[in-house]
Amino acid sequence: MNTELPNPNRVLVIDDEESIHKLIAARLRPEGIAVTGELDGVRGIARAISESPDLILLDIGLPNLDGFQVCRKLKEHPATRNIPIIFLTGETTMEAKVRGLDMGAVDYVTKPFEQAELRARVRAGLRTKRLQDILERQSFLDGLTGLWNRPYLDQRLESELNVAQRYGRPLGLMMADIDHFKIVNDTYGHLFGDIVLQGVAEELRGYARRSDIVARYGGEEFALLLTDTPLSAGTFVAERLRTSVENRHFEVHGKIVTVTTSFGLACTENIAGEVTPDALIHAADRALFASKDAGRNCVHLCDGTEIVRVTGNESSLYIE
Amino acid sequence: MDSIRSAFENDPDMIDIVREFAAAFPERMASLETCLAEGDLPKLQSLAHQLKGAGGGYGFPQITEAAGSLEKVVKEGAELSVIKEKLELLCEILRAVVVPEAD
Repeated sequence: MNTELPNPNRVLVIDDEESIHKLIAARLRPEGIAVTGELDGVRGIARAISESPDLILLDIGLPNLDGFQVCRKLKEHPATRNIPIIFLTGETTMEAKVRGLDMGAVDYVTKPFEQAELRARVRAGLRTKRLQDILERQSFLDGLTGLWNRPYLDQRLESELNVAQRYGRPLGLMMADIDHFKIVNDTYGHLFGDIVLQGVAEELRGYARRSDIVARYGGEEFALLLTDTPLSAGTFVAERLRTSVENRHFEVHGKIVTVTTSFGLACTENIAGEVTPDALIHAADRALFASKDAGRNCVHLCDGTEIVRVTGNESSLYIE
Repeated sequence: MDSIRSAFENDPDMIDIVREFAAAFPERMASLETCLAEGDLPKLQSLAHQLKGAGGGYGFPQITEAAGSLEKVVKEGAELSVIKEKLELLCEILRAVVVPEAD
């Protein structure tokens, strides 16, 4: 699981003059900045949506949509709303500057530009983007466990499902729920309950590959989104996780306490009916409930309409 | 008119694109003159605007200045003779540009 933030360094230029694209690329490349360009607003918006650049340099005098209209559309679209925009334009009037900045641009640079100034303003814009990325990531992290939270999982589930379907790849979803967590809390207190949640989160994080998404789904429930993973491989991960949680020792008042976890698995390849985010969650949930029903501390999977028991220990709770 | 050189002709980041920029001048001049001949003033204004924006960035402040004057007179709806005069001045500057040959 990867919650690191890459350094923002991708700039999109929307300007109807190609020599400006080349000029900006030549001036920003030494700073390690990658520049792409579009010659009109419509294409520029499409590219901004598909590539989510870290910063947009936007001209005002453009064919079709002018720069102000482009700015408004970018600020209205959820995928591009937070990308800082710097107007880079030959419009030098005070009115145009005020209008541009009031529309949500972070800066306004007039052409012809001094290279040192452009670089400095782009650096400033990218610093803003970095802070925005940090804020956004914070809002998607679970404070207690450091895992992604449910809103993030929901968002990624949708986009990973799109990718999986486009490339015909399997996408697995594993749901895990700590067994008898209420008893753990009631017996040893909520602070110890928090330590258990953090411990289980650590086990999950340890098994996840960089491309997997590990989330705290709610209370004591976790979700692991397994990219490019068929059911068979997902079961393997679930079973290993089940045993490592079972074997983890938690210490409270000098006592060793262990907990167990129940697992439910689903995969896009084994869904009856239309494959949607809800259908995948529902299938994994059904398998998880089956694990709970079967006495907990075991793994079930959902294959089409069938729920199959995979593995598991016979005894489910070891609270000494 | 004395020859005009880019302020960035010794900048290794820039020299290739300066050369490319200058190589397109004949084409740009032809477009500007076509616009004037056809009376397409909005297009003429836009072409002048683009040269104004790019010229200085490529190390040619003279181009930015002359293209800016042309853009201004077109925008103000000046007499055709005035526009023509500004266009000729711009073209004269473009023709005076000298860029070192590629190695």
